[in-house]
Amino acid sequence: MSALATLLARVYEWRWVVLPPVAGVAMMAMIVGALVAAPREIIEGEVQRLMYLHVPSAVTMYAAFGFTAFASVMFLWKRDMRWDAAARGSAVVGVFLCGMVLATGAIWGKPIWGVYWSWDARLTTTLILFLIYSAYLLARSVAGPLDEQAARFAAIFAIIGVADIPIIQMSVRWWRTLHPQPIVFQTNPALPGEMLIVLLIGFIAIFALATWLISLQTDTERAAQRVHALRAEVDHREIA
Amino acid sequence: MSVLMAVVGKDLQLAWRNRAGWLSAMAFATIAVLTYSFAFDLATGDVRPLLPGVLWTTFLFAGVFAAGQSFQDEVDDGTFDALLLSPVDPTVIFIGKLVANLIALLIIEFAQLILATILFDVGLLTPQLLGIVLIGTIGYVSLTTLLATMGGHVRGRSVLMPVLALPLLIPLLIGAVRATGASLGLEAGTGPWMLLLMVFAAWSTLAAVLLFPTAVEQ
Repeated sequence: MSALATLLARVYEWRWVVLPPVAGVAMMAMIVGALVAAPREIIEGEVQRLMYLHVPSAVTMYAAFGFTAFASVMFLWKRDMRWDAAARGSAVVGVFLCGMVLATGAIWGKPIWGVYWSWDARLTTTLILFLIYSAYLLARSVAGPLDEQAARFAAIFAIIGVADIPIIQMSVRWWRTLHPQPIVFQTNPALPGEMLIVLLIGFIAIFALATWLISLQTDTERAAQRVHALRAEVDHREIA
Repeated sequence: MSVLMAVVGKDLQLAWRNRAGWLSAMAFATIAVLTYSFAFDLATGDVRPLLPGVLWTTFLFAGVFAAGQSFQDEVDDGTFDALLLSPVDPTVIFIGKLVANLIALLIIEFAQLILATILFDVGLLTPQLLGIVLIGTIGYVSLTTLLATMGGHVRGRSVLMPVLALPLLIPLLIGAVRATGASLGLEAGTGPWMLLLMVFAAWSTLAAVLLFPTAVEQ
C-alpha cells in the first residue's frame, strides 16, 4: 500500500513537467483542428464546431465531480485535510467545466433548436449538478481552510449530492418523457473520421487542462491551509 | 427502544416549548399560500393546475425554514453537545429529532391543506393525497434535518440552508407535484410518481441516518 502511495506521490511530482506542455499543445491542436481541419457540418454549419469543446468538457466535468466524491469519501475515512483540499480543488474545476458545458450548449441551441434553453432531461440534470456543486463550494467556503468540522460537513454534502444524481436523472427523465422530446438527441449520426480525430484531441486537451487546473487549485487550497496553520501558530506564540 | 422513546419525547417537548419557532413556520406557510392565491388568482380563472406546485413549494420552503431552527435552541444552549456525550447512539438522537420535526411539519401541512381547500375550492383532504403528503414529507424532512445539524454553527445559515437543500430535493419536488396533480385528476396515474417518492424517501432517510453519526462526531 505504501509502495503504491510512494509511486503515486512520485507521479504527482511530475505534474509541473508533464501537464502544462501536454495541455498547451493539445489545446492548440484542438483549436486549429476544430476551426480549420474539421470539415464543416452540412446541416448545422459552423456552430457545430462547438462540439469539440462541449463534449470533452461534459465528460471531464463528470470525472471531476466523481473525483470530488471520491476525495470526500477518502477524507471521511482518513481525516486528512489534503483530501479536503483535493475535493475542493476538483469541485471548483468541475463547476467551471459545468458552466462551460451549459454556455456552449446554449450558444449551440439557439441556431439549432431555436431556443437557448430547453427543459430537456439532460440539460436539466446538468443544471441541477451545477447548483449542487456550487452549493458545495459555498458551504465549504463559509468556514476557514483548516475547519475540520466544515470539511466534514462539505464532504457529507458532496457524497449525498453524488448519490442523488441517479434519482435526479430518473425523475427528470420521467418528468420530460411526458413532454415532446427534442429530435436532436434521438438521431445519432456517426461521425466522419476527421471529426472523430479532432474530438479525440479535444478530449486529451480538456482532460489534461482539467487535471492541471485541479492540481493547481488543490495546491492553492493546501497553501491556504498552511498559511492558516502558521498564522494560528504565530498568534499562539505572541500570546505565550 | 425505550431510549428512542425518551429521545422522541424530549424532542417533542422541545418542539412544544419552541412553539414560537414552529408557529412562525406555520405563519410563513400560510402567508405563502395566501400570496400564491393572490398572485395566481389574477392570472388565471382555473387555479387547479397550479395547486400542486403552490402546495409543494410552500411545504418545502416551510420545511427548510423549520428544520433550520429545530436545532437552534439546543446548539445555543450547548445541550446538543451534552446529548452527544451521553451514552446514547447518535442514530437514536437523529431519529428522535426526525420524528419530532416530521410530526410538527405534518401538522403545519395539514393546516395548509385545509386552508387551500377553503381558498381554492378543491377537495384536498383525500386519503390518497394525505398519503402523498406523508411520504413526501418523510422524504424531505430527513435531508433537511441532517443539513440543519451540519449548519448549526455556521453564520448565514438561514440563507445557506435553502441553497444546500433545494437542489438535492428537486426529484422529490417533481415526484410530489406530479403525484398530487394526478390525484387531483389533472393527469393520468399516480403510480410511477408514488414509486419515485417512495424511492426518494427511502434513500434520503437511509443516507441521513447513516451519515448523521459522522456529521456530529466530536
